[in-house]
Amino acid sequence: MTDRHIGFSARITISILTMLTMVMMATPAFAADIAIAVGAPERVSIGQDVEVKAVLSEDGVPVEGAEVALTYQASLAGESARVEIAWGTTDATGTAVMIYEQRADDNGEMQVVYLGPGADPVQPYVFTIAVESDGPQLYQIEAGVTIPFINGTLVITVISTVWFLIALAAIYLVRVGRAGRLASEAPTTEDGSMWISTALATAAVITAIGMVIVFVRSPVSNTHIKDPHSYDRTPIAYVGVDFSYVGFGLDDESAAQTGDPIADGSVLYFKYGCAACHGLSGQGAVVGTPLVDEIGSFGSFSEDIREGPKGMPGYDDATISEENLQRIHAYLKDGD
Amino acid sequence: MDTLTNWRERLISKTTRPTLVTTYKYWLWLSFLVVIAGNGVFQYWKQWQDGLYVTDMRDRISWGLYITAFVFFIGISHAGTLISAILRASKASWRAPITRIAEFITAVSLLVGASFVVIDMGRPERIFNVYLHGRWQSPIMWDVMAITTYLTASVIYLYAPMIPDLGLYRDRLADKVGAVRNFIYRTLALDWNGTPTQLRLLGKAITIMMLIIIPIAVSVHTVVSWIFAMTLRSGWNTSIFGVLFVAGAIFSGVATLILVMAVLRRIYHWEEYLTQKHFLYLGYLLAAFGAFMVYINLNEYLTEGFNLEEAGVFAFRQLFLEDFAVMFWFYIIGGLLGPIVLMLIPKTRTIAGVVAAAILVDIAMFIERYFIVVTGLRVPLMPYEPASYSPTFVEWSVFVAGLAFFCLLLTVAIKIFPMLAVWEMTEEHEAAIAGTRAKEALMAGAEVVGSATSTERSPDPGRPAEGGSS
Ligand code: HEC
Repeated sequence: MTDRHIGFSARITISILTMLTMVMMATPAFAADIAIAVGAPERVSIGQDVEVKAVLSEDGVPVEGAEVALTYQASLAGESARVEIAWGTTDATGTAVMIYEQRADDNGEMQVVYLGPGADPVQPYVFTIAVESDGPQLYQIEAGVTIPFINGTLVITVISTVWFLIALAAIYLVRVGRAGRLASEAPTTEDGSMWISTALATAAVITAIGMVIVFVRSPVSNTHIKDPHSYDRTPIAYVGVDFSYVGFGLDDESAAQTGDPIADGSVLYFKYGCAACHGLSGQGAVVGTPLVDEIGSFGSFSEDIREGPKGMPGYDDATISEENLQRIHAYLKDGD
Repeated sequence: MDTLTNWRERLISKTTRPTLVTTYKYWLWLSFLVVIAGNGVFQYWKQWQDGLYVTDMRDRISWGLYITAFVFFIGISHAGTLISAILRASKASWRAPITRIAEFITAVSLLVGASFVVIDMGRPERIFNVYLHGRWQSPIMWDVMAITTYLTASVIYLYAPMIPDLGLYRDRLADKVGAVRNFIYRTLALDWNGTPTQLRLLGKAITIMMLIIIPIAVSVHTVVSWIFAMTLRSGWNTSIFGVLFVAGAIFSGVATLILVMAVLRRIYHWEEYLTQKHFLYLGYLLAAFGAFMVYINLNEYLTEGFNLEEAGVFAFRQLFLEDFAVMFWFYIIGGLLGPIVLMLIPKTRTIAGVVAAAILVDIAMFIERYFIVVTGLRVPLMPYEPASYSPTFVEWSVFVAGLAFFCLLLTVAIKIFPMLAVWEMTEEHEAAIAGTRAKEALMAGAEVVGSATSTERSPDPGRPAEGGSS
């Protein structure tokens, strides 16, 4: 009998404990009360190692063993995202020291964010650091070995010399023609035959100059760091800079349940891989044509998707339901 | 005895024969080429419409037959440089009858080779970005640079020594050919009269071109090899690639020259000028370069195989034992050792033997280019299944059309331009006769006064005067 009795009270105890746990978990946990304070330099220059200190406390008591990250607003080729650039764990005084290397000429809004323990939201600490902007826009660790005189000027000199000689030979040919005209009383051709070698020489000279211009201009024409327009032509990522993935789970349909067809459509547009070919926002990419401004009625749109025009895979309704297709359509139509 | 004037007249009539006489066989051959080339154009049009999807090139193996063809044709173009410039610079007199053919091969194969780069592009209209946004940090830019330079230089180098012969054609063929060719001769001959001033100026132009075209040609194929060697791919990132490419280029260039010579000799009965001696000398060159290629390969594979890195294991296996083994061993045994053996055995030391060697070399060098391109890309950089590649019908059609265009351009050129360098050959012949006469005179104990040939000099403007530079 006693056995059963003990069993009964134990069951009650467990139930109460379980309920208590559930109540505790439901209420915002201790993390919510954590406050973050940050000490950082106001001004830094590019290439500098910058130290950022974060102090975490809860009701005035230092929080030990908490993980924090330092993030900044990075933009690359027109895309903008929050990037974690340093991490730290707080010590007994609640202080975490994070060091990063200043590479961009503008950090935008910086944040110290709380990573754990616990999954509850902690208000991130928002601040800014001004960057001296008289240096190059992107800081790059000095690459390779610089050898005096082994440089672009040398290359251009060699190329110019070769082209000079080619042009010289062509000019000799022009003179051959001229000598011929002077020598013969009645030139074989009425209008003279110098034009062909003159054309040759001119072409050689123009090509020569052109080639040299291409080479000289090359740092300017592409990825010119002072000109954001040319800079954006080629997205560059530097090894060592971590671009943490900021986005939603591509396969996560739950993200497409907001009820707003346009917002849902933008998720589905990713989920079904349209973005891979047509660009992140339907602006068109290497494989797929631009879709913004190109979307017609749902009927013709649906026909396109089901059949897959010109090398595009067809999606049958087992893959994309009619309803989801309508939402993608709404999203793309909205971009018009 | 054959007088110099007779000799020269015979040479002129033999040289102009292709221009004057056209048989039905020519038209047959021409239409055959047009059909093949036409199919290539049609297939390319499909590729233009549907994109590179119609080829078998995909993300992992993104270079295939087209780039192979590019490297192969650019390689062939070294025929002209070696035979013409190097032999001219070293004053090897036997070169005279074959220089023109070699120079034509250079210009034509460069044109065909360079177009394969554009053919390989999925968006060919973007070729101009190379000029608008080129960065010279990119090996592709070096390539564009080198090939543009080489093409310009080799066209001038083909043209300059041809001017006196064009003058000859202008004078001799005026009422034998139609208006178009007359116009071409009149214009291109630059009022050539063979005056001392003209000879001096032309000599200068030729000397400049002869000297700069050698480094340009070497740089071109080195830079082509750098497109591969500047990467971090196993099998590509080796410093010997430049040497391998240049040697292989000259190797296949000489082989192609032999083949073209053999065909022309047969059709137009140029036996007197393209003699067994020329074929044998070129055959020896083939053998020598074959041996050099063996050495380069040995050097390359032994160093790489000895310190075998991880990716190298895969590269070696597919090349020596697996997928590409048949091709590879044919290349080594048939293409590199074959010519050496053919030249060593007295029985095959004939024109036929040399031509056989040349065919082997051309096939082998094509195969070599192919496996360099494809095996390199096939080595997985990450633990994924190695990709496979086999050229599609479109790719083969376009490639074969490239060959057809190569033949087509030569076929058309032969109807217009002098394929034998009459001017230079006469000069060499004169020198040779002068040499024998002087010898005879010495034997007879007589005094040699003046030039033995001066009495026979004709006022023909196509003829070089004394002091003509070569
Ligand atoms: C594998 C790449 C690829 C994927 C994935 C892809 N497309 Fe396409 N799409 C193409 C190509 C290629 C075309 C034809 C372009 C052309 O007309 O030349 C095309 C055409 C279209 C067109 C017709 C555009 C027009 O007016 O010509 C629409 C609409 C379209 N895609 C929408 C979508 C949607 C929505 C998705 C996702 C469900 C998607 N695509 C996924 C490659 C792709």
